[in-house]
Amino acid sequence: MAAPAQLGLQNAASPIMEELIAFHDHALMIIFLISSLVLYIISLMLTTKLTHTSTMNAQEIEMIWTILPAMILIMIALPSLRILYMTDEFNKPYLTLKAIGHQWYWSYEYSDYEDLAFDSYIMPTYFLEPGEFRLLEVDNRTTLPMEADIRVLISSQDVLHSWAVPSLGVKTDAIPGRLNQAMVASMRPGLYYGQCSEICGSNHSFMPIVLEFIYFQDFEVWASYLYIV
Amino acid sequence: MASEVLAKPQMRGLLARRLRIHMVGAFLVSLGVAALYKFAVAEPRKKAYADFYKNYSPEKDFEEMKKAGIFRSIK
Repeated sequence: MAAPAQLGLQNAASPIMEELIAFHDHALMIIFLISSLVLYIISLMLTTKLTHTSTMNAQEIEMIWTILPAMILIMIALPSLRILYMTDEFNKPYLTLKAIGHQWYWSYEYSDYEDLAFDSYIMPTYFLEPGEFRLLEVDNRTTLPMEADIRVLISSQDVLHSWAVPSLGVKTDAIPGRLNQAMVASMRPGLYYGQCSEICGSNHSFMPIVLEFIYFQDFEVWASYLYIV
Repeated sequence: MASEVLAKPQMRGLLARRLRIHMVGAFLVSLGVAALYKFAVAEPRKKAYADFYKNYSPEKDFEEMKKAGIFRSIK
C-alpha cells in the first residue's frame, strides 16, 4: 500500500511491476530531458533583445527537430511494447480466480475448488483493529498462493468497475457482460492492497481489494477449510 | 593630438553566435539532467531491488509475518 504523502509507484511485488517501474523511470528520464531543453530555450528567448526577422528557410533545423523526436519516440516505444507483450503472456496458471465487481463490493470465486466463493466488503472504520488501514481493509481477504502464476478473470455484475492492485502491476476493467483476463504473481508473501479504479457510484472509493499471499501448502489448507476470521 | 581609433565592434551575427553557444549548452544541460536522473534515481533503484532480492528469504519473511499475526488465513 502507499505510504502517507507517497508520490512514486508502490514497491513491486511481481516481476512485471519491476519492469513497469524501470520503464517509468526510463520514460520520466526522457520527459525531464525534453522539459529541461524546452525550459532552457524559453529562458533563452526571454533574456535577449536580439531578433532575427528575415528567416526564409530552415531546412537543417527542420530535419533535426523531426528526426530527433522520431528517435526519442522509438526509444520509448520499444521497451513499452516489450512490456506490453510480457503482460499478455499466459503461462499455465496454477489457479484461476474470478473477481466480480458489484456496487459496492467485490466477490471472488475459486472455481478450481468446490464451492469456494465469498464477498469482500470494506471493513467499516469503527470495526478496524489497531494497526489496520482505514478504507483499505476488507472483511474477507482474497487468499492466494505466492510464487505461482494466477489467472484472474474480471467482470462485473452491474456497472463498470476496475480491479487494481498497484504493487502487482495489475489494473483491469470489470465490464458487465465481458470477461477480462489478467495474470497475477507475487514473489513475496504478504498483504497487497488495491482499490476500485473506475467510477461506479457513491461508494466507488469504498470497495477495496486485499490480496493475502501465503505458501501454497497453507493456501491448500485454507481452501480446504476456508479459514475466514 | 592623434585620436585613437577604437576597434570596430562586432555588428553582425550576434544572434547567430548566441544561438550557436546556447544550442550546445541546451543539449548539454538537458542530457545532463537526464543523466542525473538515470544515475541518481533509476540505477540506484534497480540496484536496490537487486540487493533486496540477493539475500531475501521468503520463508523467513513468511515466518516473521505469521508470527506478527498478519495473516488471517493461517491459524
